[in-house]
Order: sequence, then structure tokens, then C-alpha cells
Amino acid sequence: MHFAPLPYLDPGSGSFLIQLAIAALLGLGVALRASWGKIKGWFGIKSKPAEDDDESSE
Amino acid sequence: MTNQANSRGHAASFRDPSGFLFSRGGVLYRQVNQSYAEDYARLMGSGLYERLVKAGLLIPHTEADQAPLTKEASFRVIQPERVPFISYPYEWSFGQLKSAALATLSIQKRALKADMSLKDASAYNIQFVRGKATLIDTLSFERYREGQPWVAYRQFCQHFLAPLALMALRDVRLNQLLRAYIDGVPLDLASALLPRRTRLNFGLLTHIHIHAGAQKRYAGEEVKSRRGSMSRHAMTGLIESLESTIQKLDWTPRGTEWGNYYDITNYSDAAFEHKKQLVAEWSARLKPALTWDLGANNGAFSRVAGEHSGFVVSFDIDPAAVEQNYRQVKKDKTENLLPLLLDLTNPSPAIGWANRERDSFGGRGPADLVLALAVVHHLAISNNVPLPQLADFFADTGKWLVIEFVPKSDNQVQKLLASRADIFPAYSREGFETAFKERFVTRETVNIRESERVLYLMEVK
Repeated sequence: MHFAPLPYLDPGSGSFLIQLAIAALLGLGVALRASWGKIKGWFGIKSKPAEDDDESSE
Repeated sequence: MTNQANSRGHAASFRDPSGFLFSRGGVLYRQVNQSYAEDYARLMGSGLYERLVKAGLLIPHTEADQAPLTKEASFRVIQPERVPFISYPYEWSFGQLKSAALATLSIQKRALKADMSLKDASAYNIQFVRGKATLIDTLSFERYREGQPWVAYRQFCQHFLAPLALMALRDVRLNQLLRAYIDGVPLDLASALLPRRTRLNFGLLTHIHIHAGAQKRYAGEEVKSRRGSMSRHAMTGLIESLESTIQKLDWTPRGTEWGNYYDITNYSDAAFEHKKQLVAEWSARLKPALTWDLGANNGAFSRVAGEHSGFVVSFDIDPAAVEQNYRQVKKDKTENLLPLLLDLTNPSPAIGWANRERDSFGGRGPADLVLALAVVHHLAISNNVPLPQLADFFADTGKWLVIEFVPKSDNQVQKLLASRADIFPAYSREGFETAFKERFVTRETVNIRESERVLYLMEVK
């Protein structure tokens, strides 16, 4: 178990397991994007700044 | 929480052991419990609180010098800014629910940067403050531990993603499922109701269809099967996926029930302007703190009253009108107007535990001023409500009433009577005045220019 203490709402067994699977897949994309930003950085190409404090508008 | 707190704490605030709301002397406070002390310190100390408040995403609070309700458990008492009107997701238009969903995800993203995470994602934790979807539960944050999944994932999908997908892709009226299911739309139900083609949408396929399948398959499995961890990248990927899935969902009102209402009625421009002028004059005289516009359509008269009211709630039965109204609020950055969906013939009931968690429509009143413009004929004729009962309803709803009487000769009333027997002999100006005299004192009576309609300003007896 990775969260201690246990949550006060039951995250649901199925929801929990499927989340791990979906997130693992989606996390690959995020990791790739992060490394790609670094590689571009070595060549002096600036990445777009990560969306930040102006995203509140919605 | 002890029984004492249960008996005096707020009826909607009992699930989370981190603290609860209570009222004292007409002021709303939130007790923060010892068990939440470290999380609270992180929220305040990390700068997250300040950033969220600045962005209008979290309700501001002050630390209050008040005795807690349950001393032994208490860490601190805070006083959150009062929300002008509490509304519920089944009263929101598509755009409002979408704003609430995106605000929740935006909060989660910012929280992660401060090493915190939302421990719940209930749509009831979001309210519209100064026109923006705002989190009102200060105790929703917990310290993020690397590897921890999002414990609120299931709740987020049920409260936001499922109803939004159903509204956008099946029928906008399906938001009413939220009235029946207080913890959000069950995912197996959403999966069954959504069109088949939604399985081709990666976000809906995973977060709803496969998610629903997994819930069924692993129902009742023990916690020990919940092994595994989730990297920060994976958490970010999950939140971004939910965000882009929701951003792509859209619903645009096509021809609304009332959309071109103002073009086809007995209204001339002069009548419309005269009515606006009277509403402006009377609301300026009364300066109400809270105005309810019942049957507001796209909110034209709510805006007029809003110039002289503290806050206006603009109710209409038509999802398209409410959506248009909300878009206008966002465009103009109006801070004191809240459009809401409401069927006056069947207003929101009190729901939830002991029927006390979510307040009824009437329970959130009375308003200082009620506008009932061009609605009387719908209630009295379409819904067969006798005039004395209408007077009772309005007398319970507000202290002052601006009400428009629409006579039988009006083309809108003729339309309502076109295919049914006229069983309303009492529906006349005299009958109306007699019925309302029982509950109200009439302060003004004005014939609307270039029309047969009459506008009254009444004060409840």
C-alpha cells in the first residue's frame, strides 16, 4: 500500500486497479514529453512553458 | 466527530473526519481537527492556499478566534467567506458543470506542484463565487506521497465526467440523474446509456467504459490486491487525460424553447423597455441583498435587477437559456449573477442523508425580492395551479414581489389554451388581484405600455 493513512472515501477496488493501468500508460507519454523537452534543451530549443497560473480562467 | 457535533454541525458536513462546518450567531465556521493539522500546515505554508485563492479557485478564509464545537478533537477554527447562494450540480447548465470539472482538475494540478493532492472530488464541493467555479472545502487537500494514486478518481468520474459525457453525447437533460444519485452517476449506468461510438474516444473508453467493467470485475476484492504504485508522471498523465477528455466535450444550445421568445410575443420594444425601466426603478428603491428571478430566460431582467441587488439568482427551466445566460456571465465577468436550472412546478427537493444534506429550493430562501415576469400564465394555466396557491407559493419565496399578469387575450395565453378546454374562469385581472390580496399588499400597479399586461410591486403581509 502506498498511501498511509487510508483514505476516508473508498477509492473502489476496480477504480483503483484500472487507474494504475491507465495512468501507467498515460505516464509514459508525460515522461517522453519531459525527456523530449530536455533533449531539445541541449540543442538550445526552448520548450513552451508548462501551463501554469493562468489556467484558472475556465 | 462526536454526536454533539452531529447534532449542531452543518447537516451536509459529516463525512470527512478532518473537520466540519458549524454555525454560531448566524456566522458559518469550519472546525479543523487535530488529525488534519499537518495537511492544513502544508496547505497554508506551501503557498498553495494563496495561489489558489488568487486564481479564484479556492474560497478564502480567516482564522477565527472562536471556541471549537468539539474541544478535544479541534486544532483550529476558521471562518470561510460566505458563499452568496449554494447551488447543486443538478441545477447547473452543461457549461457550469464543465467549468466545475475543469476547476477541480486545475486545483489538483496546482496541488501536485505543492506536493499535495485532492482527497475528494465531489461536485458539491464546488460553488460559483464571483462568477467562477470555486472549491469551498478547505479541508480537501492531503499531503501527496510519491507513488500514491488519486484516491478521488472514482468520485471525479462519477460526479463530473459521466454526467458531462451523457449531457454532451446523449441528452443534456441527463444531468437530472445527479438528483437521483447523490454520489454521482454510477459508471455502469453511464456506460450503458452512452452511444456505442463513445468507445472510440480514448478518454471515454478508459475512464468510463473500461472503468465500469473493472468496477464490476473487482467488486468486493480486498485491499491487499491494491498493490502497485503510480509515478508522478503517471498521475500527471491521468489528470491531463481527464482534462483533455472533458475539454473536448461540448454542448451548444440549438434553438432554445425561449430563444426567440422576445421576438414572437405581444412585446413591442416599447413594452420591453417599459418593463425594464420598472424593474430598474423598483429594485433601486428596495436595494435587495438577494434577488431571485423566476423564469428568467437568458437573464435580461436579472441583469437589470442586478445593478441594484447584492446578488441575483436567475432561474429557468430551459437548459439552453441557462447555458446562454452562463456564457454571458462568463463573457461579461459578472460577479453577482448565478444562472440556474429549475422547474418551478417541481423545484429541487431536499436530498441526501436524512433529507438534510442538500437543501430544497425553498429552504434556501426567502429572497428579499422575487421577479415573476411572464410566468404566472405558465403556472396557472399550463400547470393548473389555482391563483390562491400561487399567491401562497410566492409569499413563502420572497419578501417583495414584482409580478406580471398576462391576460387571457395575450397570444401567449391563447397558445396555451389552443388545444384544451378553458377551465380557468377565475383567471382574470380581478381574480388575480383578489387572490394575491390575501397574502400581499400591492404597492404599485402599472399597465405595461403597448400591451395588455400589468406589472405589480407587492409586499408580503
